[in-house]
Amino acid sequence: MAYLEDFEKLLKERCHQNEVPGCTAACPFRLNIKDIIAKLKKGRFNAAHRVFQNTVGFPAIVAAACDRPCREKCMRNAADAAVDLHALEQAMCRYATRKDPNAYNLPARAERVAVVGAGISGLACALLLCNKKYQVTVFEKSDHIGGSLRDAMDAQLFDEDVQRQFQYEKYECVLSHEVRSIEELAAFDAVYVATGAQADGLGLAASGTGAFATDVPGVFFGGSMRGRTHMQALSDGLLASRAIERYLKTGLMNQPEEEADARFAADPSRYQKKEPVLAANGRYYTEEEAVREAERCELCSCDACMRACDLMRHFDKTPRRIYEEVYVTIRPGTLSRDGTMATRLISTCNRCGVCRSVCPEHIDFGAFFEKSMEEMKKKGAMPWAFHDFWLRDMAFSNGEAACTVLPPGKTEYLFFPGCQLGASDPAYVSRTYAWLREELPGTALHLSCCGIPAQWAGEQELHKAVTDGITATWERLGRLVFILSCPTCMRSFDRYLPGIRWISLYELMAERPSAPALAACREPLAVFDACAAADHPQVRTAVRQVLQKAGIPYEEIPHEDGSLPCCSFGGHAGIAAQRYSERVIERRAAETDRPIVAYCANCRDSFASKEKEAVHILDLLFGLNAGKRPAPTVTERRKNRIRLKRELARVYLGEEPQEEETMKLYISEELKQRMSADLILESDVAEVIRRCEEEDRKLMDPQNGHFIGHKKIMNMTYWTEYLPKEDGFEVFAAYAHRMSLEAEDTKNG
Amino acid sequence: MAEDRKLICHRCGVELVPVKTFFNYLGHNFNTELPACPKCGEVFIPESLVRGRMTAVEQELEDK
Repeated sequence: MAYLEDFEKLLKERCHQNEVPGCTAACPFRLNIKDIIAKLKKGRFNAAHRVFQNTVGFPAIVAAACDRPCREKCMRNAADAAVDLHALEQAMCRYATRKDPNAYNLPARAERVAVVGAGISGLACALLLCNKKYQVTVFEKSDHIGGSLRDAMDAQLFDEDVQRQFQYEKYECVLSHEVRSIEELAAFDAVYVATGAQADGLGLAASGTGAFATDVPGVFFGGSMRGRTHMQALSDGLLASRAIERYLKTGLMNQPEEEADARFAADPSRYQKKEPVLAANGRYYTEEEAVREAERCELCSCDACMRACDLMRHFDKTPRRIYEEVYVTIRPGTLSRDGTMATRLISTCNRCGVCRSVCPEHIDFGAFFEKSMEEMKKKGAMPWAFHDFWLRDMAFSNGEAACTVLPPGKTEYLFFPGCQLGASDPAYVSRTYAWLREELPGTALHLSCCGIPAQWAGEQELHKAVTDGITATWERLGRLVFILSCPTCMRSFDRYLPGIRWISLYELMAERPSAPALAACREPLAVFDACAAADHPQVRTAVRQVLQKAGIPYEEIPHEDGSLPCCSFGGHAGIAAQRYSERVIERRAAETDRPIVAYCANCRDSFASKEKEAVHILDLLFGLNAGKRPAPTVTERRKNRIRLKRELARVYLGEEPQEEETMKLYISEELKQRMSADLILESDVAEVIRRCEEEDRKLMDPQNGHFIGHKKIMNMTYWTEYLPKEDGFEVFAAYAHRMSLEAEDTKNG
Repeated sequence: MAEDRKLICHRCGVELVPVKTFFNYLGHNFNTELPACPKCGEVFIPESLVRGRMTAVEQELEDK
C-alpha cells in the first residue's frame, strides 16, 4: 500500500491548495491576510486587530509605514483593482477597541540577551523576548529609540505604539552607548545585532548555518544593516527572537530560513467586478466602508479541483482532507474497529478525470480512488451492494445478451458497441451496424461489455477475466480493427487493451460522404461531451463534423478550464451516493437551456432521467427518437439487449430464436419507475413469485386476498405483493433490502 | 400499506405473531421482532420498514 505514502508525498510537494496566496507570500510578516479579511467581513475589528498585532508586533507602526508589497500581488489587479489592505490595516487600528497587548504571566527566565540597536528591528526582537520573560538589555548609540524608521514617520505615533506594546514588559535600555565590539557583551547568553543601515555591523559575517546566525556563537544579526527595508527589518527582529530562543534552549543556531513563495495563480477572469471602495471623507474608511472593501477580497487559494470536481465541491472537501479520510479508511491503525469514514466516498468518484485535467500539477484523484477501491475490495471492506447491480448487469451483457456476427469472407473491422448502447435503444446498434455493413462490407460485430463495471468496482480479477475474453475474441477473429462508439469503451481499451487497434464510429462517419443524416433540426442543440472523451479530442472533433455535415445546428457548453465533467453515470456512483448523483445530473442539465445531443447512451439516458430533453447523435442521424424519450427502466434495458440479439441473429445469422417463456406481469407505470429507481428487475419479481407459488411460501392478506413473499437472489432479498391473474400476475408492490434474514441463509445452505 | 396488517401464512393457515427475527449484514448481526408464522417461521417485512429503518441501518453499517 505504498501508494498511500506516494500520494501523500505528491500532495505535499505539488498540491498548491494549502499554499498562501500571493499577498501573504509577498508580506514581510507572512500576515494571514485571509484570516484577517474573513474577520473584517464580519465587522470583527477587535479579532482582526488581534491577528494583526500578534503577527507584526507593532500594529500602529506597520499600519502607518508599510510599503505594501501585497498590493501588486493581489489577484484583483487583473479584474479591477487590488484590495486596499493598507487602508484596512488603518481601519483595524482605528476601530478596534481592545488594542492593548496580552499580558503574559510566565515565570522569569534567567538567560540574558543583549540587543544592539534600538531601531525597529531591535525593538521587535526585544519585545518578543520580553514576552517570553528573558532578561533583555537594549543598547542604543543615540539618545533615543526608534532608529531610522522613527525619523521617517510620525514620531509620536511610533513612540505611542512602542509604549503600548511594551506596557507589561520590563527591559533595560541603555541609551547613548555604542557597543564597539562583541567582546563587550561576553556576559550575555545571546546577542541580536541590528545597528541599522549606516553601521559597520561589528565585523560580523553570516555563518550560513541558519537564519540570522553569525559566525560568532550566540550572536545573531538582521535588519537594515543587512540591506532590508524597514518592514523587513521589523520582521527580522521578530523572527530572530525565535532563532535566539532556539539557541538558548538547544545551543544550535540552525533556525530554518522562511520561504515565501506562492506557486499558484488564481484565475481572476471568474472574479466579479467590484469597484474599489473609496473613503467618503477622503482620508480613512468608516467601519462600513472597511467591511465593504474587505468584501472585495476573494480569499483566493488554489481551488482548481475543488471548483471543477463535482465530488469535492458537493462534499466541500479539500484534496488533503480527502487523502486523510481515505488514509484512515484504508489503514484504520489501532482503532478497535475500522475507522472506515471514507468507504462511501471512495465509491462516489465518477472517475471522470476532471481533477487531473484542471490541476496545475495534474494530480489525479480518480486514480487514487481507483487504487483505494482495489485495496478496500482486497480487505473485503467495501460493501458489496455499491456495485452488485452493475456487476450483475455486466454478467448479463457478457452472458445472455452477448453475441458475435462474423460475415463470411474477408473482413477488417469489428463493431463493438459496448453494453449500454443497445440497452438504451436496440436500433442504435442495429441501424449503425446495417450502415457499417453497407459502408464496410464484411464488418463483424461483437456484443459484450468492455469490463469497466468491474474496474469501477475494484474487482481486479473479474476485470482481467473480461478483458482477457475480449483479447481472445480479437485473436480468434483475426485481430480486426475495433469500431467503438462508447467513449467509456474507448478509454477502457486505451488503458486495459492497448494492443487492440480501434477507431471511433464518429471518425468513420465524419470521413465518409454516405454518412446517414436524417435529422430535421432547426433549433440548436448543446453538445454534451462524455467525460471519457477527454482523452480523445479527435472523437470530439469528429462528432461535431458529423453534426455539421448533417446540417444540425449546435452549441458548446462552456466548462471551466475546458474540463469535461461527468453526467453522473461514471464510476457507478449512483448506488453508494444516490443524492450526490442526482445533484450532479441536475447541475449538468442546468448548464444549458438547449436540448442536449450526446454521443454516449448513458449521458443521454442520465439527462432523460431528469426530464432534460436529450437525444443521442444516432437518434438524429438515423431519425430514431425525439428528445423527450424517457430513460428506459432497468428492465427495459435488459429486454432491449435481448431484443437486439434476437434481431441480429434473425437478420445476419438466419436464425429464428425461440422466444423464451417469461412470466406475464401486470405492473403499473408508477411502480415500474419506482422499481427501476430501486434497481429491481421485473425478472427479480418473477423469481420471487415463482418461489412463492412453487414452494407455497407466501403470506396472504385476508382483506384483499393479496399474496406477499420474498426471495434472496444473490445478495439482495426481494419482496413482492401480487395477485394471480388468468395469464400471469398483477404486482402491487416490489421492494428489496441488503441485509439478510439469518433463517434464509441457513435454509439456502 | 398499513404496518398493522393481519396476515396469515398461506401454507399453515395461521395468523402471524411477533417473533424475534435475526439479520446479518456486512458481518454484523442484529435482531428485531417481526410478524412471522408460529408454525413454519415464514416472516413478513413491511415495505415501510424496508424503506425506512432498514435502509437507515444498512447505510449506517456501510459507513461504519
